[in-house]
Amino acid sequence: MRLFAGQSAWLVQRLSALVVLFVLLLGVGHLLLGRGGYDAWHALATSAHGAVLIVVGFAALAVHAFIGARDVVLDYVHAPGLRIALLALLGTLLLGVLTRVVLTLAAAGTASPLGGA
Amino acid sequence: MKFRIYRYDPDADARPRMQDYEMEPGHHDRMLLDALQRLKRIDPGLSFRRSCREGVCGSDAMNINGRNGLACIQPLKSLHEPVVLRPLPGFPVIRDLIVDMSQFFAHYHAIRPYLVNDEVPPQRERLQSPEQRERLNGLYECILCACCSGFCPSYWWNPEKFIGPAGLLQAYRFITDSRDKATSERLAFLDDVYRLYRCRSIMNCTEVCPKKLSPSHAIERIRLAMVRDSA
Amino acid sequence: MRETARPAPRFLRLWNIRFPIGAIASIGHRLSGVLLLFVLPPLALALERSLHGPAAYAGLLAELRSPWLAPWLFIAAWALAQHVLAGIRHLLMDVGIGWRLRQARASAWMVLVAALLAAAMTLGWLA
Repeated sequence: MRLFAGQSAWLVQRLSALVVLFVLLLGVGHLLLGRGGYDAWHALATSAHGAVLIVVGFAALAVHAFIGARDVVLDYVHAPGLRIALLALLGTLLLGVLTRVVLTLAAAGTASPLGGA
Repeated sequence: MKFRIYRYDPDADARPRMQDYEMEPGHHDRMLLDALQRLKRIDPGLSFRRSCREGVCGSDAMNINGRNGLACIQPLKSLHEPVVLRPLPGFPVIRDLIVDMSQFFAHYHAIRPYLVNDEVPPQRERLQSPEQRERLNGLYECILCACCSGFCPSYWWNPEKFIGPAGLLQAYRFITDSRDKATSERLAFLDDVYRLYRCRSIMNCTEVCPKKLSPSHAIERIRLAMVRDSA
Repeated sequence: MRETARPAPRFLRLWNIRFPIGAIASIGHRLSGVLLLFVLPPLALALERSLHGPAAYAGLLAELRSPWLAPWLFIAAWALAQHVLAGIRHLLMDVGIGWRLRQARASAWMVLVAALLAAAMTLGWLA
């Protein structure tokens, strides 16, 4: 756990927060600018910069969430076995979410332009 | 005036209890400590620490109506009745309002609360400019009363490993002292997921400091100093 | 003297402690963070569904507007707003803005109120 100890974890948490905030603002801006509808959304998610932004956003989110959740566990859970189990569970959950997002975008990007299953 | 005071006698009580008191404050009684002294005349078993009676020794820190403070500078008129007195939260209770401060002082010792400078000392003082001396304001005045650490949730959950606001404020007092030459070592010691980084800026410490200091701000400055030091 | 040593008691009844507004904002930040963890899997699934095709997209939007989902959406929106706003407050304090007690209390109140408003507005916008 030395890698995520002390100052480095704190910095990574702050930086990942800024990345998530940036992507979130872009996303909210996109929504509010009313470019709704499936086609515009699909085009954005399958475009190079759109897909990269979404993946980077979720990756930063996963890292940020892990550090934050780890802090909660370190505060309240002192039994070492339970601690490792919870952290492993959290790590798996976050990795799972990120993987799902990446696979989704990859599938959407390579699917037929006429949409469909 | 009505009081509800936390009582615990390790020899007689299985667990702590609250005891009700009612007494007429004396004509010259101004502060909570005056009332406590009067209550002790009624009930000699009531135990609490006290010394200077003017807010500089830090002995009589306790939880007063839900917030930590010093009994000797807490005006009686400011208190809602019944005045509920409990020991500092999170600290092991020795008896009544007296808590075990050993862990608290151990953290203080751990941050090396003394000037570290192995250079040849000058003929007279190690000089400081007024600006350099200014940096110690808001740090040297700490009386180690533990109101802050006793109000910090992060310190409640990890008192053995988290240094706590008081210790960290004192650590910063030496980090920012221009005469100290151990800055990097001090910062390296604090760079730990527990020692410094249990703090998440709840700011309970600053809310209750009887000397109006800001441990939360000192901790922010330590984090910035760490970033600068590692750059 | 007792023969056996009992561990010393500690006063930690949180309901007997009077927490300042900053502490409320801080526990809100932590609580909202934990809640958002539970929002992540449904979010990933919603993302997948939204890219499945026009029909799936429309279906997703319709479901987001359904009344039974409204309270959950409100909680999720509150969690996001609370966590982001409190986070910005923390980032500002990191660089030395708003660290004084009076400013910190004011910003804590602002964050708590703004988060509730943002959650209400999100629900209103969706409906």
